[in-house]
Amino acid sequence: MGKRHVRALIVVALFANIAHAHEIGTTQVNALFLRNHTYRIDIITSPRALLTKLEAAAGVPRSPGDLPIGVMEQRLNNLKPLLVRSIDASFADGHAPLAVGRSPSAVDTNSGQRPTANGQRINGQRNCELEVHDFAVTIHLTGDIPRNARTFAWRYKLTYSTYSLALQNEGDPNVARQWLDADQQSTPFPLSHEVIPPTRMEVIRQYLALGFTHILPRGLDHILFVVGLCLLTRKMKQILAQVTAFTIAHSITLGLTIYGLVSLSPRIVEPLIALSIVYIAVENLTATEMKPWRVALVFGFGLLHGMGFAGVLRDLGLPRSEFLTALVSFNLGVEGGQLSVIALTFVALAPKWRDHVTKPASALIAATGLFWTIQRLL
Amino acid sequence: MRISLLTALLLLAATGVPAHDFWIEPSTFRPTPGTTVAASLRVGVDFAGDPVPRSTQLFETFVARDAKGTKDVVGFEGRDPAGYVRVENPGVTIVGYRSKANPLELPAEKFEQYLRDEGLESIIAWRASHGQSKTPGHELFFRFAKSIIGAGTAPNTNFGYRFELIPESDTQFRVLHEGKPIANILVIALHRDDPTARFRARSDRNGRVKLPLAKNGVWLVKAVHMVPAPAGTNADWESLWASVTFER
Repeated sequence: MGKRHVRALIVVALFANIAHAHEIGTTQVNALFLRNHTYRIDIITSPRALLTKLEAAAGVPRSPGDLPIGVMEQRLNNLKPLLVRSIDASFADGHAPLAVGRSPSAVDTNSGQRPTANGQRINGQRNCELEVHDFAVTIHLTGDIPRNARTFAWRYKLTYSTYSLALQNEGDPNVARQWLDADQQSTPFPLSHEVIPPTRMEVIRQYLALGFTHILPRGLDHILFVVGLCLLTRKMKQILAQVTAFTIAHSITLGLTIYGLVSLSPRIVEPLIALSIVYIAVENLTATEMKPWRVALVFGFGLLHGMGFAGVLRDLGLPRSEFLTALVSFNLGVEGGQLSVIALTFVALAPKWRDHVTKPASALIAATGLFWTIQRLL
Repeated sequence: MRISLLTALLLLAATGVPAHDFWIEPSTFRPTPGTTVAASLRVGVDFAGDPVPRSTQLFETFVARDAKGTKDVVGFEGRDPAGYVRVENPGVTIVGYRSKANPLELPAEKFEQYLRDEGLESIIAWRASHGQSKTPGHELFFRFAKSIIGAGTAPNTNFGYRFELIPESDTQFRVLHEGKPIANILVIALHRDDPTARFRARSDRNGRVKLPLAKNGVWLVKAVHMVPAPAGTNADWESLWASVTFER
């Protein structure tokens, strides 16, 4: 028995629970609210019936019954703007004054704000794609969950029968099911805290912490690199010059990589990062004083480390609504981590110990870096 | 008859109808003997409908009748099309669907709109005189749908439904309530290719209505009658929906 048949049987079995409704049709709507603060709504319906209803609404001649699927798909796509206008997927903040006794009229969700029964409409951008098969068309609606959204409400004007609307927050095993009679408005569905986009302050706090902890204590390779920078010279000015060059460089590539303007495979970047640690440590072992071009080299290494940070940040994910805030906060968190490492290095290596520590520490760092280089190449 | 003709109107305005028509849409109206016809059920407006899957909980009878007799329309539960009819004999086969009672509650505004659209002015007047124009409509609705497939010798077109449209020719219909002709029922006809252009006429005292359906193609002819609901049904009204689909 196919999936459709099982669904249809469930629909029929549940019919006894529905009072005051039209006949149950074949349409189903599934709405999923995701932790990445987007939503995905699938309307599964009969392509033939959908085309007929859209043609009726548009006042254009009806297509014949035996339409090839390719032509059907094309005609459905031509009428997509009308379809989108028939869908009222709205979010509300739940705080605005109640509009008593009036249900909102179905309008395009992008058409600004208007009061609903449970707050102010705050709708985000929306995308609509059709997936047309012989016996079913799936209308995929995707978009961002607006900031401050608390509830979701649904109305679909292109149905004349009773259909089921299933609503779910990602991570919550419970599916809320509502039976809607034709163009009836759903009752508000509460969004879980996880799917609602965080506020700017929450993003700043979260990404500052992520950036910081990525260096201290998680980023041993970055720690060793920064420690290596501090070991060669005692002059604060020279240390600051290196750290500044490193910071500027990794900020540039972090931003460029996240925005997709530069791209280098981690298979190349990661071994090079390890090799940069080896280089700094070996130079500490061989050089007696800092050469001016070391700053330029550190800048180059910073470009590599920035790409590494970008890889991590991409794995963590960035909220679309606060992309730049998260990026800047993460970078500042990384700076905080680095400065803490430098401060700790200074405290740990008091000037009189420095001569005794630089060489063995650099040797150890060089060995570790070499080990990582080989490990990352394998 | 003259009154019916005089009241036949061509209405060009599309309406947002809150109550929905119900009809049978066969895969073909002109099958050759031996062909199996899919009989789909549709609910909608302006001849644009949603498929209604077969549900034995929804109907009392779903049958096909030809000159040789009547048999059940078979089908898969929960699936669209709701039934299949094997047309074995030449001539006309009529598919008939009679639903069980189905409760419907509509807000006052929508209910009044539907009463206006379906020509149920007497109910509007009754509600107004009883101060109920602003109260929601609680009704039980019943569907009595027929579809005429094929051409030639026709079986008895009277299925004995509580409310029924009997085609007497391509342009003349008779409206029966409880088996008796009923006057002043609004009968509406719409063509599949131009469904917003409707022919409307009221039945005369013999229950007859004439509609100038000259255009070839698929037609839906429909009528709604409303009576007070019996006590103990939790509804105020019973609405009886009759429809006939055919190709001329």
